[in-house]
Amino acid sequence: MSGDPEAAQIQVRFFTKQEQYAIPDSPLAIQSNIQTNELSTLVNGLLKESDSSIQKSVDFDFLLYGELIRTSVAEHLQEKGVSTEETLEIEYIERFPAPSPQDCLMHDDWVSAVDTHGNWILSGCYDNSVHIWNHKGQHKLAIPGHTSPVKAVAWVTLDNDQGVFVSGSHDQSAILWVWNVSGNSVESVVTCRSHEKGIECLAVSADGKQFASGAWDNNVCLWSASLSDEDNVPPKKKSKLDQGKSREALTTLKGHREAVSAVQWMDFNTIISSSWDHLLKIWDCELSGIKQEIAGNKAILDVAWSPLNKSIITASADRHIRLYDPRSSDSIVKTTFTSHSGWVQSVRWSTTQDTLFLSAGYDAQVKLWDTRSPKTTLYDLTGHEDKVLCCNWSNPALLISGACDNTLRIFKAKHAIKHA
Amino acid sequence: MPPFRVGLLKRKLKHPIDESKDAGTCSPRDFSGNSDNDDEDFLNGEIQDNKEDATDSENEAGINSDTEQDKVLFEDEVDSVLGDIDHQSSSGESSELTDSEGDDSEGVSSESDEKNSNSGAESARNRQTSNHQKNAAKSNLFQNKNSIHVLATQISEAAITTKPVQQRDEYESGDTSDEEDRVNTTGDVPRWWYSEYEHLGYDLDGRRIARPPTRDHIDEFLRKCEDPEFWRTVKDPSTGQDVILSKDDLKLIERIRNGNVPSETHDEYEPWTEWFTREVLATPVRAFPESKRSFLPSRSEQLQVSRIVHALRMGWTKTRRQLASERRARSRSQRAFYDLWGGPDPDAVQRRATPRHLPAPRRPLPSHAESYNPPPEYLLDKREMKEWEKLKETPWKRKYTFLPTQHGSLREVSAYPRFIRERFLRCLDLYLAPRAIKMRLTIDAQDLVPKLPSPRDLQPFPTAEALRFEGHEGLVRSIDLDPSGQYLVSGGEDGTLRVWETSTGRCLRTVSLGEPVTRALWTPVSGLSLLAAAVGPELLLLNPGAGIGAHRVAERTDRLLEEPPPAHDVQMDERTRSCVQWQDVTTARVALGVRLQVHHFKPLAHVSWHARGDYLAVTVRDGGARSVCVHQVSRRRSQLPFRTAKGLVQCAAFHPHEPRLFVATQRAVRVYDLVKQELVRKLMTGAQWVSSLAVHPGGDNLLVGSYDRKCIWFDLELSGKPYQTLRLHGGAVRAVTFHRRYPLFASGGDDQNIVVSHGMVYNDLLQNPLLVPLKQLRGPEKRDDLCVLDLRFHPTQPWLFAAGADGSVRLYS
Repeated sequence: MSGDPEAAQIQVRFFTKQEQYAIPDSPLAIQSNIQTNELSTLVNGLLKESDSSIQKSVDFDFLLYGELIRTSVAEHLQEKGVSTEETLEIEYIERFPAPSPQDCLMHDDWVSAVDTHGNWILSGCYDNSVHIWNHKGQHKLAIPGHTSPVKAVAWVTLDNDQGVFVSGSHDQSAILWVWNVSGNSVESVVTCRSHEKGIECLAVSADGKQFASGAWDNNVCLWSASLSDEDNVPPKKKSKLDQGKSREALTTLKGHREAVSAVQWMDFNTIISSSWDHLLKIWDCELSGIKQEIAGNKAILDVAWSPLNKSIITASADRHIRLYDPRSSDSIVKTTFTSHSGWVQSVRWSTTQDTLFLSAGYDAQVKLWDTRSPKTTLYDLTGHEDKVLCCNWSNPALLISGACDNTLRIFKAKHAIKHA
Repeated sequence: MPPFRVGLLKRKLKHPIDESKDAGTCSPRDFSGNSDNDDEDFLNGEIQDNKEDATDSENEAGINSDTEQDKVLFEDEVDSVLGDIDHQSSSGESSELTDSEGDDSEGVSSESDEKNSNSGAESARNRQTSNHQKNAAKSNLFQNKNSIHVLATQISEAAITTKPVQQRDEYESGDTSDEEDRVNTTGDVPRWWYSEYEHLGYDLDGRRIARPPTRDHIDEFLRKCEDPEFWRTVKDPSTGQDVILSKDDLKLIERIRNGNVPSETHDEYEPWTEWFTREVLATPVRAFPESKRSFLPSRSEQLQVSRIVHALRMGWTKTRRQLASERRARSRSQRAFYDLWGGPDPDAVQRRATPRHLPAPRRPLPSHAESYNPPPEYLLDKREMKEWEKLKETPWKRKYTFLPTQHGSLREVSAYPRFIRERFLRCLDLYLAPRAIKMRLTIDAQDLVPKLPSPRDLQPFPTAEALRFEGHEGLVRSIDLDPSGQYLVSGGEDGTLRVWETSTGRCLRTVSLGEPVTRALWTPVSGLSLLAAAVGPELLLLNPGAGIGAHRVAERTDRLLEEPPPAHDVQMDERTRSCVQWQDVTTARVALGVRLQVHHFKPLAHVSWHARGDYLAVTVRDGGARSVCVHQVSRRRSQLPFRTAKGLVQCAAFHPHEPRLFVATQRAVRVYDLVKQELVRKLMTGAQWVSSLAVHPGGDNLLVGSYDRKCIWFDLELSGKPYQTLRLHGGAVRAVTFHRRYPLFASGGDDQNIVVSHGMVYNDLLQNPLLVPLKQLRGPEKRDDLCVLDLRFHPTQPWLFAAGADGSVRLYS
């Protein structure tokens, strides 16, 4: 404990919702300038007192008044503007372990898109190619096929022997590919052409039957993800026949006035899309109408919606990440997360924990955030040397980001699954 | 009769006689003796007149005097007073009628004694022997030489025919005026009323008093010779009888003429009765006479009444109604109308010219310390008293100018010894100290700054550098964005034209054109995929090709440009053809994407698109009269709109929606109407050398940058003079630009700062544009004294792109 005699004594009571780390409920008097790691040591000591079986010390994070304590307790209280007189109820949770850099996958050009499914990583590159990697960093395939930089990739389905994925490019087409895992061969099945301008984003629905794309022609298109041509869409252009079947959009959702920067499925027929016209739109796919609109004041570059906490985070053309709640009718920013020093290009929620998300910015930083700590990140994942263009956390163990330095970096989250 | 009455009468009597009035003014009127004297003189003078020239002709003069007397207001008084005089004068008549000679001599001697008596009187006055004496002597002194003789002549003029009184007994018995009145009962009527009659009036019994026979001069003379009593015979005007004055009368007259007290019984030298003694009497005597005011009627009142009476007599009085109507008439005649068109009022000018009133400085109000009974805290305690004493030499340093003192009551306060002195000094201050009104200007520097909204309220605007587009080796001369804002094109000194992805800073395409690209512009039409690039003397129109923009648009553009228009459309006159050639594009260049190529006779300085995307205004460097050239892309023809050179043309730009062309020469911007082919207006910039020009998307405002560090905003609706000149740069301004949607404009130049300003143009014509400098952005690095070469705003986002001399293009958001 800190020996600073001037620090005030405060009464605290520790509690936790994680039962394995329960300690006796008794108020303690501690110095107010105590830091988080000291608190952690304290709780570990208490834990060992109560249960001698625990040998390994655990790192804890501490929640006070809904926010993580990142500095000393006294500063935290001062920030919150509460008095140190009464007994403080401090909740402690096991700290999310620091992700460790695992791999760096070299590309020939800027990495613009990345997606994972299980252990397989799909990346889109500015050299018009799509690459498949496994989680160990082995390069499985480089797939040329597009004529312009690939801006979006997404897995549709992945079995043991066959994987289906889609890639969208600035050549105004999205291609549905079938990857034979065992044979390590890929085949473009369907070319989707409805966009007039470059495709910027793709999203596959949860059931894998549909996918949505957003493009620079201000439209969001819904496509069938089925490999067969059962929906009787006749190929219109003969020239496309040699490449495979061509397909047109099931529905075109028109409404944005500028480029659509990101789309995501919220449930089986709801899509959220973000655009450079400062709007977030939630679409009903069946009615192909707008359900809700959230207005920001900056061009939105990416949006992520979490099914766990039902809130939206957006990355816009400034340094801030904003958290919106779609359930409230007004478009008020709930929290603003500020740590990046450049534009934030991409944000992704954790699929397992409702408070964690990942962000990638033009300041060559990938950051791991906790929503309860808006001023400081949990971890800064450094390593990139240029603008980070994309990030992905679909596999809870893998934090992947692609950047303008032609690399795809993989960070491994240790025993993160245990917390689920 | 009280003395004041006599005085009054005397005044009234003398009223028509000016000289006597003058004399009267010299003498105090209030003394009874004096007035008596006057009256005696009157009689005396008359007597003398009779002695000298008692003629008939005098009669008429007498009549005149009577008429004049008529004007006197209080006539009854006059009568009664006259009676009084007679009565007084006849007081000693009966006893001494006979010794006239002696009286005469006495009169002479008394005359000679006058001065002696005067001096004696003076000495007497000095001695204060007698009040009366003094008064009498004084009156004598004044009247001897003046009034008596004057009176005599007056009376001689107003000669009244005398007539010996028949009933002498009445006088002898010492009758009063009442008895005298019995002689003639006509009352106070002018005597001339009876001049036509035989009788003079009526006696008490109603019988006529017969007019005595008038005597002519001979008779008079005979009488003078014969009648020993003639000299003392006077004519009674009321009865016309001759009256022989008794000895007493004569004596009286003599006394009056000598200026003595008429009454012999009056003792001039009676012992002085001291009414007031310095000894305090147990029972003080209040025997002094009543104050004069107690028995005098108010003279001012009398004057007023007399004035009213006079006015009534003269018929000057007016009723209220008359007065009102007169007033009405006056106001009607004097009703004034303000002369709206008249010059400045000379009176007002004069009034203004008079020095202004300078109020005296105010003295502070007395405080509690100045009270006669100040609260104890204002009284000086020992320590303060010591200090007070210490400052004796320098009293102006003291806390008070006086010593606060406590008094039990105001009555005990002694007189302030310095009061007069201080008042005097104050007056000196006010009088001698020069005073001037000091016009104190207390202007806060902050107040002079115009009220501008805070930049915080004018968001969004670019605030920080967000992206850098690097790849050019050398200056980036020009940048432009495609209409959707997805791509950026830049032309550099390294001879390349580069197309960038706006959002990531990725260079998508590099077109090497060999020569430095001075200008690179994207067509403003979204349905076309066309770039205009000025490379040396050539203007190239490029299709950026596949992968950039929509395929369909690119194909369409190619199709449009593929086939040339029919030849008859392409006709150009000789002059144009001499300087502009539409050339065939070499295959190598076609592969680069060049679709059209226009060769000019000199290198190009500036290119700008028309908003429709069909016309291009090209400025040729040093082209003279042919420096501005307008190309039509669809017909592939050109025209030179100007025949004569109006100056060194810097750049030309089209109006966004009207057929107008702005041409910036070295010092002025000219606005031409392209349909009517005429000069619409000329805007004098006031700058030495114009560098760049930007037209507001609304078309009514113009921003001009100049090499002498100025940005000049023109409001074309307002005037041909600069609406505002912004000096925001430390170096030459090389680029100015407007945002297409947001009310933003930016300027950049040779200093490293790019200034982003808010330039709000209102639809309301009455409201002038609002210009607020918002932000200084750190520009690109300096190379060869150049910094920012071109500026562009993103078409939809509040982002600014700056082309730098260091080969980078920067995005500010």
